Amino acid sequence: MSPVVGFAGMTHLGINSAVATAARGFAVVGYHDDAALIARLQRRDMPVVEPGLDELVAANWERLVFTADAAELARCDVVYIAADVPTDDEARSDLAPILALIDRVAGAMRNDAILVVLCQVPPGFCRKLTQIPQERLIYQVETLIFGRAVERALHPERFIIGCADPGRSLPAAYATVVKAFDCPLLVMRYESAELAKISINFCLVASVSVANTLAEISEAIGADWSEIVPALKLDRRIGQYSYLAPGLGISGGNLERDLRTVINIGEAEGTDVGVVKAWFDNSRHRKDWTWRTLQQAVLAAKPDAVIAVLGLAYKENTHSTKNSPSLQLLSHLEDKAVRVHDPVVPGTAAPKAKFCATALECINGADVVVLATPWQEYSELRLEDLAQAMRGRVIIDPYRLLRGDRARALGFAYHALGAPASMPD
Amino acid sequence: MLTHLNSASHKPARVVVIGAGGFVGNAIASRLEKDGIAVLRLARREVDLLASDAADRLAGLLKEGDSVVAAAAMAPCKTPDMLKDNIVLAGAIVRALARVPATHVVNISSDAVFGDEPLPLTEASPRAPGSYHGVMHLAREIMFAGELKVPVATLRPTLIYGAGDPHNGYGPNQFRRKANKGEAITLFGEGEERRDHVAVEDVGEIAAQVLAHRSTGSLDVASGTVTSFRAVAELAVRLSGKSVAVSGSSRRGPMPHNGYRPFDIAATGRAFPAFRYTSLADGMARAQKAEFPDG
Repeated sequence: MSPVVGFAGMTHLGINSAVATAARGFAVVGYHDDAALIARLQRRDMPVVEPGLDELVAANWERLVFTADAAELARCDVVYIAADVPTDDEARSDLAPILALIDRVAGAMRNDAILVVLCQVPPGFCRKLTQIPQERLIYQVETLIFGRAVERALHPERFIIGCADPGRSLPAAYATVVKAFDCPLLVMRYESAELAKISINFCLVASVSVANTLAEISEAIGADWSEIVPALKLDRRIGQYSYLAPGLGISGGNLERDLRTVINIGEAEGTDVGVVKAWFDNSRHRKDWTWRTLQQAVLAAKPDAVIAVLGLAYKENTHSTKNSPSLQLLSHLEDKAVRVHDPVVPGTAAPKAKFCATALECINGADVVVLATPWQEYSELRLEDLAQAMRGRVIIDPYRLLRGDRARALGFAYHALGAPASMPD
Repeated sequence: MLTHLNSASHKPARVVVIGAGGFVGNAIASRLEKDGIAVLRLARREVDLLASDAADRLAGLLKEGDSVVAAAAMAPCKTPDMLKDNIVLAGAIVRALARVPATHVVNISSDAVFGDEPLPLTEASPRAPGSYHGVMHLAREIMFAGELKVPVATLRPTLIYGAGDPHNGYGPNQFRRKANKGEAITLFGEGEERRDHVAVEDVGEIAAQVLAHRSTGSLDVASGTVTSFRAVAELAVRLSGKSVAVSGSSRRGPMPHNGYRPFDIAATGRAFPAFRYTSLADGMARAQKAEFPDG
């Protein structure tokens, strides 16, 4: 009989993982203690935005059950804990909600069921859990990417699995579930798995920090970082999927959390974590790129400029604004004439700005447009429409959603990450 | 930005308008005369500013304490020879004014002193002309600022239109005249470039206010609204009441100013809060009535 799989915590991670597991043919129980959220899920109204999610829910609806009653988890052979682990302004994790959830779930599960901690926890967390015997406790690394969560959940590159003793075989029901995803299984002790997650994020942060540091150098010396990236990606030691696109620092919360976790461990254990602090500093500096550019290109000459900010989310295809560079920019602009638009994030995220229903309404009459989030719909904006609608001729486009050469030909000053500003011909 | 030396408006004792035979000079002189201000109109007939004795002759016509409007120029300045002549002409004005101190000088310059900027032009925009005409006006501005020891105001009108314009250049006046004659209007490209057009009467009004307040500094004279040449042509046709075709043509060379030259006119509002620019529709209707009263 095929195992029944539970997911406790209908978070971004929980929903996507639950739906992907149903798509692999398992009966799935999605549990959350928020009855209103469960009612919404029962109406197939997904509270998160992910490409392909709604279609996948529809295709696997017969295997999906959503409930606010923890007792229903007694049907499950495997229960994943998929709580959000919130972080504070210092990027420190608050583990109280996940501990409370584990208590509740452990009390509702059958005595032979397997508990899998899927959410991100600091090294040492699993070994200390006492609510459940360690032979029934698994830690599985999540590699959710906002905006690509469905694809990642359906087709993981590998599963990193932490257990009390990697020398013993995996519990049968759990093994059946993970083998259904047809990917390599890397079994290791809890601590290694917990640190593996952090290690992956560190490699990403290192690449991003290289890109951000050298993109800024490129802007200063007349190089173009986008010309350099292909050379790096063709180097096998760096690789074609490496994170080399320059960005506005590190956002989203998870990477920052890992940096903070390692700094804390390093300080407690006396190891050198100076480079980690430098990554933080670089991120903070880079996050203000848009603000510095706006000051130099516009506000120095025209303090009362009308500013259009397109995008509030911290990146495309997500409603999350955690550590969003856009909101960071807006925090500098509270006394300015600012209009904002986002296809998903509501205007309440930017209460001081005028929220516009469409991108074109947002840029109408603006002196400068800032493309703060790389949403696909912004890359489809026509420069001729911008020229028609805007009063000024300044585009700040960190992610190069628009064509800089065409913008210049239409009389725009064009500012992007990784290359010097280009002025009209 | 302007600073008013007279916070309240005072009628100047006498205003000498140099270049009163021209489109702008005449509009300013007429506006002042309407207020009963004594105006000495100087045109080429009175003093030829390219003559070798021009400075002497002009100085002989000026009185100490005059307000002076320098509206004389050979415009639009399109060749190196015209540029040279314009510098000679401005030099004569400056030498005369150095000899007979005016109480106030208003130099009619041009927005051509500005380059193309990514933000709407203001009085603080960098002066970086890309044409002989702009270079000529920038040279004049520097000459007036550097050589005269009296308060100087610089007005920088953008494209001026109105009845009686002798230039008949591409734009509202030419389109209106063609339409009234039943001639087809041919646009450069599709007439898509959007420019600011200011009524000549508004230039006269601003100049009168600047003289009354004895203002110093600079002010852009522009309506704050940009209109495509196609829309201007269609407006001209409507006003004429005739059935006239407006058509595009293939464009030779790039669009001037990348096809867009807006102004931020906040400084006008600060200097003269009660003043309102004439809309293009109203201004062209007024010109239509003046030039084609039976049309």
